[in-house]
Amino acid sequence: MFLRLVADSFTRRPRRKLLTGAALALGMAVATAALSVSLDVGDRLAREFRSLGANLVVTPAADSLPLEIGGVDYRPANSGAYLAVADLPKIKSIYWHNNIIGFAPLLEARAMALPFALENGKLRQTANWIEDVPLIGTWADHGVPLPDGREFRTGIAKTNPWWRIDGQWFSDDARECVVGTAFAQKNKVKIGDEISFAVGDVTKIPSPFKVMGILSSGGPEDNSVLVALSQAQLLTGRPGQYRKLYVSALTKPEDSFAKRDPKTMNADEFERWSCSPYVSSIAYSIAQALPGTDVRVIRRVAEGEGNILTHVRTLLWLVTFAALLAAALAVGASSAASVMERRSEIALMKAIGAGRGSVGFLLAAEQLLLALVGGGIGYALGIILARMVGERIFGAAPEPSLLVFVIILGLAAGVTMLGSAIPLRRAAHFQPAPILRGE
Amino acid sequence: MGGSLVGNRKMFWRILRRMLLANRGRVLVILLALAAGAAITAAMLNLQIDAKRRLTAEFSVLGPNILIVPAQTDSDATSRATLDERILDEVPPTSPDGWTPVNALGYLYLLADASGPTSRTYQPVVIAGVRSSLADKRVAAMRHNRRPVDGHSCIVGGKVAAQMHLQVGDQLSLHGVAGEQPCRVIFLRNMGDAGDAQISPELEVAQRLAGLPGRISLIELTARGTSEQVNDYLEALRKRVPNAGVHGVYQFSEAQGKIYSKISGLLTATVVLVLVLTALCVMAAMTNVAMERRNDVGLMKAIGGATRRVVRLFLTEAALLGLVGGLIGAASGILLSMELGKAVFGVAARPRLIVYPISVGLTILVAIASSFPLRRLASVRPAAVFRGEA
Repeated sequence: MFLRLVADSFTRRPRRKLLTGAALALGMAVATAALSVSLDVGDRLAREFRSLGANLVVTPAADSLPLEIGGVDYRPANSGAYLAVADLPKIKSIYWHNNIIGFAPLLEARAMALPFALENGKLRQTANWIEDVPLIGTWADHGVPLPDGREFRTGIAKTNPWWRIDGQWFSDDARECVVGTAFAQKNKVKIGDEISFAVGDVTKIPSPFKVMGILSSGGPEDNSVLVALSQAQLLTGRPGQYRKLYVSALTKPEDSFAKRDPKTMNADEFERWSCSPYVSSIAYSIAQALPGTDVRVIRRVAEGEGNILTHVRTLLWLVTFAALLAAALAVGASSAASVMERRSEIALMKAIGAGRGSVGFLLAAEQLLLALVGGGIGYALGIILARMVGERIFGAAPEPSLLVFVIILGLAAGVTMLGSAIPLRRAAHFQPAPILRGE
Repeated sequence: MGGSLVGNRKMFWRILRRMLLANRGRVLVILLALAAGAAITAAMLNLQIDAKRRLTAEFSVLGPNILIVPAQTDSDATSRATLDERILDEVPPTSPDGWTPVNALGYLYLLADASGPTSRTYQPVVIAGVRSSLADKRVAAMRHNRRPVDGHSCIVGGKVAAQMHLQVGDQLSLHGVAGEQPCRVIFLRNMGDAGDAQISPELEVAQRLAGLPGRISLIELTARGTSEQVNDYLEALRKRVPNAGVHGVYQFSEAQGKIYSKISGLLTATVVLVLVLTALCVMAAMTNVAMERRNDVGLMKAIGGATRRVVRLFLTEAALLGLVGGLIGAASGILLSMELGKAVFGVAARPRLIVYPISVGLTILVAIASSFPLRRLASVRPAAVFRGEA
């Protein structure tokens, strides 16, 4: 009898049930979309922030003090310490290796340059030796072999993604170079020209490098020349070595716990600290993996990112909360309306002997069924909506999560019950007779 | 005829007044729903506008976004060229966002030898003398902008301190090509950039060390605003200082443009969703009320009210309620958003006046749209209603 009453209520007046269900589904769809986007947004935004470039810089711990002005290091040629390129794959073996999205080793030198211009297919020497040219050896797009046999492609374009290049990068081992835009302008160098470089004394003109591209970085690199790391090592006589390493890592914004000195932590705290991708704990594990290094957090980038991420996340949660609240109110109001409309039906049931409990139970079952169906449809719609928003803004859809599904169904059921409970309680106090008379 | 029109109008308003006053409980519920909707709308809109403004401020933490360097010349190496210090004071003092001051820092770089309190050996080090165009204490106190406080103090980079075993309070002696200057270490800087390997005294001290009075190497500017505003500012700056190279720092300008557009897109999307839901919520509440009005409509029609006029009566009522609810709700929403702004960004959101009329207008629209189920009342047959048939 109970099931028959419930089934009848759905089949006899499908239009009314459809309206309530539609309101429910719509509300829950919006709630699902807002929730999925908010859950997903932290990771996506953190990834976007990597367009700020490297947030960690690694230098030799035993290094002498860099004397760098305007991108030129004025240290004597042979002073200072170097690090071994062969150790670099170890970075991808730390606990947080998946968070390391790029790194690039740099070897800088003060070189002399002798440009040759390409005119009518012939090279012609255009100027004399140019002194004090900052030469940077690095990786443009280099494959690092990983311990598990795969290859990790990385380079300066990952750690300094704002660098614009006109033309193309040099190949890994070729005698090719990229010149900074200020250097190119000043010395009238263009793509296709060739330049010879020498570090230290010159006895004969070395074989030249072909200019592949013009770099504009908005920084001191605009005055320098970039070549492949292996070529810079040959020029400076430092095979297999580098001096500075930029690392770009996905991190979690630092809170007050993250800023503590790991030396003052007890074992539990240290475990928790090193198991969170804070920029400081990633710096710590890189220093462990590459002994003899000084790993520094580029504070401006890390803190700026942390601040903005924290604020945006709070803001989005706030807006999501508002969305959930609005959805709850909308659903609650429409389910209250649907119960209110059935006052005379309730009165009739009571008049023919139904107790308060069984009437309430019947209505609750109906509403719950509606909530689950409406919530389910709403969830599906919401996922599509979230997909649209995600793809439009980040170019990637958020993964549908089971957690959101459970929350949405729970919310739908809870809110519907709450919305119907109030008119139901009021209905319980009514005498059947006046309602049936239409008063 | 004229008399009956006036009479009609009088009657119209009288019925309206009665409708509003007769069932105060019900009117209160509708007003509450409308006001709550208006409050959420106003709060979200205001917060969104303010968040965009706050974000440009947040991005300025990342560092300077404009550099002024000596103009490119064909003859000398750029690293040794210098600028006139007076350019620092020619920088327009207001950011492109129209209200925050521009923080302009003039630097003079030179190589010098430093000796600490314990050792008599000299350590070659880069000196970065600095002066801000702002005398503002607030800026000087910011963590990222630690400056020497007077001619006898200096900021020392962490790498320099480690190399020379320096601590805060130590006395240093700096030897440049043109003289010797003492300074006291007031702060150890560990920012992970080139400044960690420099000693930073006041600009004048560095100029005396280098023998270059009134000269600087470059100027760093932190100008707040959206990417477009900063670009306009750059153009204006180029005209103002024609003898120097002015360019944007791509690292931050590019990232700011990219991230800002994502965040504001995200905010807009969620705020639109919230607004749709709020409208839905208000509509649901209003629909209930409309359905309860069947008896009234039946009665009006029975005593000769034309459908058009009955509907007009209800629409006017809805618009009035929307207006009152909107006025109250939007005002409290703007107040709410100021508090929320404080919770999120630590600074109260600035109220935007444009938000107020927009929220009130939207509320009236929603209220009128919610009365649409009343259209169904047009088909109400008075007799059926009186018989109690649904």
